[in-house]
Parts: sequence; structure tokens; C-alpha cells
Amino acid sequence: MIKIIYSFIITASLITFLLISQTTVSNMFWLLSIDMPVTFSIIFSSLLHDLYNMNGGGAIPVIGLVSLGLFIAFLVSRVILVWVNINHKYAYALAGGCALAAIVLMMPLAFYNLDLIAGARSLYGKIYLIFSGILGGYLFGYLTKSKED
Amino acid sequence: MNYQKKILTGLFIFYSFLSLADSHKDVYKLETIAEGLDHPWGITFISEDEILVTELSGQLRLIKDGVLLEDPIKGVPEVLFAGQGGLSEIILHPNFQENRYIYLSFSEIDLNNKLNTLRVIRAKLEQRALTEIKTIFKATPTRKTAAHYGARLVFLVDGTLLITSGDAFNQREKAQSLDNHFGKILRLNDDGSIPKDNPFLSIPGALPEIWSYGHRNPQGIIASPDGKIIFEHEHGPMGGDELNIIKPGKNYGWPAITYGLDYSGAIISPFKKKPGMEQPQKYWVPSIAPSGMTFYTGSLFPKWKNSLFISALVPGDVRRLNLDSDGNFLTEEILFETEGRIRNIVMAPDGSLVIATDGPKGKLIRVVPNN
Repeated sequence: MIKIIYSFIITASLITFLLISQTTVSNMFWLLSIDMPVTFSIIFSSLLHDLYNMNGGGAIPVIGLVSLGLFIAFLVSRVILVWVNINHKYAYALAGGCALAAIVLMMPLAFYNLDLIAGARSLYGKIYLIFSGILGGYLFGYLTKSKED
Repeated sequence: MNYQKKILTGLFIFYSFLSLADSHKDVYKLETIAEGLDHPWGITFISEDEILVTELSGQLRLIKDGVLLEDPIKGVPEVLFAGQGGLSEIILHPNFQENRYIYLSFSEIDLNNKLNTLRVIRAKLEQRALTEIKTIFKATPTRKTAAHYGARLVFLVDGTLLITSGDAFNQREKAQSLDNHFGKILRLNDDGSIPKDNPFLSIPGALPEIWSYGHRNPQGIIASPDGKIIFEHEHGPMGGDELNIIKPGKNYGWPAITYGLDYSGAIISPFKKKPGMEQPQKYWVPSIAPSGMTFYTGSLFPKWKNSLFISALVPGDVRRLNLDSDGNFLTEEILFETEGRIRNIVMAPDGSLVIATDGPKGKLIRVVPNN
């Protein structure tokens, strides 16, 4: 059980980091594209700011949102895995992708199509974030695998 | 002895504040004109006793001799009432008494692709119905979101019309490019044609109606009585609401420079200033959600003459701003903070102020001297 909790925290933290860093970096790239004086130090300090502030200073803490989505998706996967014999890593990867897809595709439906996560406004951003979920889910499956897997 | 002095000084300051608060109550009183308005938004007086009010849900209502008429004005086009969208601004043509033209802004859905946009029409108001409806502006491209339309209108002294157009929330970066209507103030002739002296006419790829750019969600725009200064306010994100003086061809910076953060808490831009981008006259952190504006020239409140009044949704009050003769911000006073979210404020022909409270049971309230 401790291993699952520990793996879940690592997974949620990784996905949160990937999500926030994508928002920060894509924003900095756009600022660079219009000749704003963005430096590495500004990117780094902005990333630190966003990692802190998007987990407590905004409307919804990203770590909480990601954790909730993953918890539901992983729970459903765990139940399915009782009946279906597929590799756990792939099952959780799919679950992670579905969790992030739900966050980036369904959350706007509740807010008049507004994407509150700035990095999720573009199609590329949405694909990247879903892929982050897949990666995180795969990691969770890897970390929690038993010897029989 | 020192203690006594401190206590006396403290008491003096305390009672000074109390007397200041009381002095406000002595100055004005609030009288409800109409109740039960469904999200009132735009307000205009067609005579001393007749007020037209738009309801975001799509009705244009008439208040005559202090009575809200049951039947709305007929002929208003169907609007998209969703999110922040709906029937929004109403203003009169400068020669309304002769030509009976009114101008309405609203969000509407494009049935072909289910997207929506901001549209502005001109129509003739005759016998409580709109006729001769002509579309004079439609924002492009269309958008998915039902937010940040801007949608305020004002006529300038030269007879041209300014239209505010918001950044649609998801399209904020487009406020910095001139090939679209997101985050812009547009200038048109009264028939929708393009004035020949607009600032970007000679820029390849720029839309000719653009007057200024780099705006977020401008929900207030007025001209000073002499027409020389154009005041605009816009919603910032989390913090960073702005009051600007608008000049043709200028870039107001959004989202390259801002005093606010994204709703997620993320940085939108680490920059607050940049050469070539205009600074606000005033900004608010935290946000007050400025929703409407009027310039007071009446005589009922002599101390308020030449003040700018800005209605605010959060926490719900009106800001009276003292300005110098060039329109620069000097001081701010908070008024009418007991009425909840305030959607708009206008000056009536008799010099009283009229405020609209926000929501499905909105009210129109007149502010008159308390004597």
C-alpha cells in the first residue's frame, strides 16, 4: 500500500510538473516571438513561480486536479485489471492519458469553452498534456508492478 | 502625557473617518427605478423620462415615467445568451432625435459552424419596435468561447463610432496582431464604413477598422465632454484591471505586458512595461472587474463634477476618480458599496447618476442628492 501511495505521489508530481512547465515554456516562447526580452533566468524564475502558484495561488490547484483525475482513472483501471489480462503498465498508461484528456477536453465544457490551463489552449498543447498523462500512467504501472507482471 | 496625545490623535483620526463615511450618506440617497431586470447591461436615455435598458438575455426594455414597461421593444435580433454573451450595449446616434437610429452590440451564434462572434447593428426605433436593421460590424474570426466580447460603443465628436472587442479569453496572443478583431478597439463611420483617417489603413495585412490594439476585455469606453480624451477600462486577469487613455494606433500591451496573473496562478508575462506599449493611467490589483463608466458633468453633485465614475463587479461598488485636466488619474473614492455587483453607470440628463446591479434580478437605481 505504501508503495502505491508513494508511486501515486511521484506520478501526480511528474504530470503536474510536465503540465506546468509546458504552460510556462510555451508562454515564454510566444513572448520571445514578439521580441520581448526573455532570458534563461526569466524562464527559470517564471517556472519556479508557476510551480508554486499554480498549486495554490490560482483558481484550482493543478496538483489536486491531476491527482483527482488520476485517482479515478487508476481506480477504474485496477478494477478492469481484475477481469482483463493486459500488461499493467499499458493499462495505467491508458488510464493516465484518459485522465489528462478528461482534464483538458472536458473541463472547458464547464466554463463556456474556456481553457483555464493556458498551455491546453492549442491542439498541440492538448496532445502534449495527454501524452504526459500516458507517460505518467506508464511510470505508475512500472513503479507498482508486482513480480508476476 | 505622550499616551494621552496618542489616544487623542487616534480618536481624532477614527472620528474623522466616521464623519467622512457619514458625509457620503449626507450627500446622496439611492432610489430604485426598476426591479426584476434580467442581467441589465446597457443603459441609455432617449429623453428625461425614457430609459432604454438591454438585458443580456436578449430583451430591450423601456422604462417610461419611472415604470418598466412589460413588453420589450420588438425586432431585436436573436442573441447568444451564454457565459458573458448576450444583448450588450445600446447607444443613440448623435442625431437620434432626427433619425431615430440606435446602435446595439450583442453576441450571436454562427449556425454554420456553431461558433459565435460579436455583432453590432444600427436600427431605427419607431413605435417601440426596431426597423431598418443594418449590421455595421461583425468581429472576425469567430470564436468558440462565450467570454470577453468587450462590446461597448461610443460616438466620438467627429461622428465616428468606437467599438470595443475583447480577446475571447482563449485568443489572448491575437490581441498583439492586426489581422483580427480580438483585443481591439475599432473605429467606423455611423453606417459601418471605414473612416479614411484610421491609423492602420496603410499597413499591409492590418484590418482597416482597427483604432488601437493590445486590449483584453474592454467593457468601458467614453469620451470626455470636449471629446479630446477617450477613456477606456478593461478587465485584467487575476489583478491588472486597467484604466487607459486611448490614442489611435497605440498598442496597450496585453498580453505582452500586464499587472495581472492568469486565473490558474501562472505568469502571463513577467513584463509590466515595454517601449512602444502604453501604460495604464491606473491599474487595480486585486481586480475590481470594471464594468461600465461615465463622466460626470451634471450639477446635482457639484463636488463630483468632472469626475470619472467606474462601476465594478467585484466586490461591487463604484469608483469615483479625480483626474487632472489632461485626464491623468489623481485620487480614487469608493461609493455605493452596499448594492452588490454593479454592471453599469450612466449620468441621467437631470444630472443624477443611474446604476444597474448585475444578475437575473437586476435593478436600476438612481443616485440623487439627499435633500
